[in-house]
Amino acid sequence: MNPDRWKVRLQPKLILGLVVMAMVLLLSLTLVVTTMYRRRMEEYFSKIAFDQASVAAEIIDGDAVRRYYETGKKDAYYHEIHEYLLMVKQKVGLKYFYVVVPEEDVMVYIWDSGVEGEEGVCDLLDEDAYYGGGHRLMHEAFAVDADRKILVTRNAEYGYLASAYVAILDSAGVPVALASVDISMEIINQQLLTFVAGAVLVSCLILIISAVAYYYYVRHIVIRPAVILHDAAGKLVKDEMDDLGNFTIDIHSGDEFEDLAQAFQYMTVELSEYIKNLTEVTAEKERIGAELDVAAQIQSSMLPCIFPAFPGKKEIDIYATMNPAKEVGGDFYDFFMVDDRHLAVVMADVSGKGVPAALFMVIGKTLIKDHTQPGKPLGEVFSDVNNLLCDSNSEGLFITAFEGVLDLETGEFFYVNAGHEVPYINRAGEGYQPYKVRPGFVLAGMEDMRYKEGSLTLQPGDRIFLYTDGVPEATNRENELYGNERLYRILNQNKDRTPKELLPEIKADVDLFVGEAPQFDDITMLCLEYKGKTECGI
Amino acid sequence: MNIVKTRENDKMVLSLEGRLDTMTAPALEAEVKGSIDGVKELVFDFEKLEYVSSAGLRVLLASQKIMNKQGSMCIRHVNEVIMEVFEVTGFSDILTIQ
Repeated sequence: MNPDRWKVRLQPKLILGLVVMAMVLLLSLTLVVTTMYRRRMEEYFSKIAFDQASVAAEIIDGDAVRRYYETGKKDAYYHEIHEYLLMVKQKVGLKYFYVVVPEEDVMVYIWDSGVEGEEGVCDLLDEDAYYGGGHRLMHEAFAVDADRKILVTRNAEYGYLASAYVAILDSAGVPVALASVDISMEIINQQLLTFVAGAVLVSCLILIISAVAYYYYVRHIVIRPAVILHDAAGKLVKDEMDDLGNFTIDIHSGDEFEDLAQAFQYMTVELSEYIKNLTEVTAEKERIGAELDVAAQIQSSMLPCIFPAFPGKKEIDIYATMNPAKEVGGDFYDFFMVDDRHLAVVMADVSGKGVPAALFMVIGKTLIKDHTQPGKPLGEVFSDVNNLLCDSNSEGLFITAFEGVLDLETGEFFYVNAGHEVPYINRAGEGYQPYKVRPGFVLAGMEDMRYKEGSLTLQPGDRIFLYTDGVPEATNRENELYGNERLYRILNQNKDRTPKELLPEIKADVDLFVGEAPQFDDITMLCLEYKGKTECGI
Repeated sequence: MNIVKTRENDKMVLSLEGRLDTMTAPALEAEVKGSIDGVKELVFDFEKLEYVSSAGLRVLLASQKIMNKQGSMCIRHVNEVIMEVFEVTGFSDILTIQ
């Protein structure tokens, strides 16, 4: 984001707020002040009007008024009063000063102060219509001790007037006429206009000055820290990703912006720590992963995998495969010459998975190979291996294992079984059948177990098939097991194949069954064919 | 797999349902380890258990070893599939199966 846009967007909002606030303040203040001022001034003027009207009502002789009203004849007293009214009007600055008798529809003039010949000045017994609320107010005032009510008129003809009426009483105390005073209040409007103009002018000046000051103030306390934060964030991504731990932001405003800057700084430092840890953990994980790969390679390279295995031994054909599951596992097969005329084959499966199983498999494989000595009964071999494995088995692992030793000359096959799947034997091409051997207990399960050797004799052309439970327990997406029936069927469909041809057929069939489901267990198979003593001998 | 545990004094019965394999064996192992203290008679009821893999065998073997020291253990209602596993692996020789 461009930092300039910040200023444009934030400043006008704040300034606009200030202007609106000032407007509202000015408006309400003006309204209150003018209303109050107008009321006070009207009171002031009406007091003057009443005072003058009251004085006139006191002075003027009511009986004389009655006489003038009835006869219409002026005398010396009439002129005296006329002079008086004129003088007061001029001295006090009244607009009109007159005495009238309020009849029902019109008012009848007795005196109207004015210079002779002045336009609009009425003479004795001239009549005039009531104006504004004059009718009601004049009739109310035409009484003894009437309420003092002021009549305020604002119209084009007479202007802005305050009118006061006081009754003139005759000697019997009966009202005969009204002493009336009209006082112009135009001055109020003029003064108010001046006041409002002044107030607006001063307010505008103050507003402009404060807006400018406010602009710089806001710029200082809001925009500047925001821009610093913005720049720091931008720079952080651009330049300082490698050095997040030393990231600092220079804001010392003592307000929320400083808090924000500190939080941002804290976040960045923590992030850097987190990234560092993550990098280490990831590196460690990669290292472990790589080492596990190496381990898996070492493990599989421990299994003999060069075929034909014994090119010099024409009496036998042997082939074996192991397809490891994703994790390093514990399946293994082995075959080796015990001496010149004895071949040993081993098929085994360590319970469990992962590194513990793999390590245990290495121990098991080594011990079995070491203890398989010429002339040593296989039962003894497994008994010894079992006790040794029990000693080094803190994890409660165990191994199911089958070992057989074939006498290449006689075809005699000695075997021992420690809880492993029984072998399938294909005699003279008649088909594979499971060969029931007495199962011993698994290796490393319990100390001092006795294992018994068994034996059978193979004829030339006989084949033995060994496998681990990864074959019958291969599982498809529907959680069905491959099972021994399928294994039996596929073995016998391919009963005439050589060991090297047979194993891929079985693997392909298992793969077909499993489909897309992941492989959980190692799939390990071995097939040994005894061809008998060849004519050329050993 | 479901594990239902009932305990009366020093006798504990664990009834299992489903498959006891690599995925579920750790749960059983934790259950056994957590509550085997003071048990003199441990019974596994396999009436509703369909299958036992080598990982499951390992838990049974570990339980058997513990119970050899502090009492007795037996397994009830074992179906044919599981019985075959026990026989093939020789477990039928060291477990008490009723």
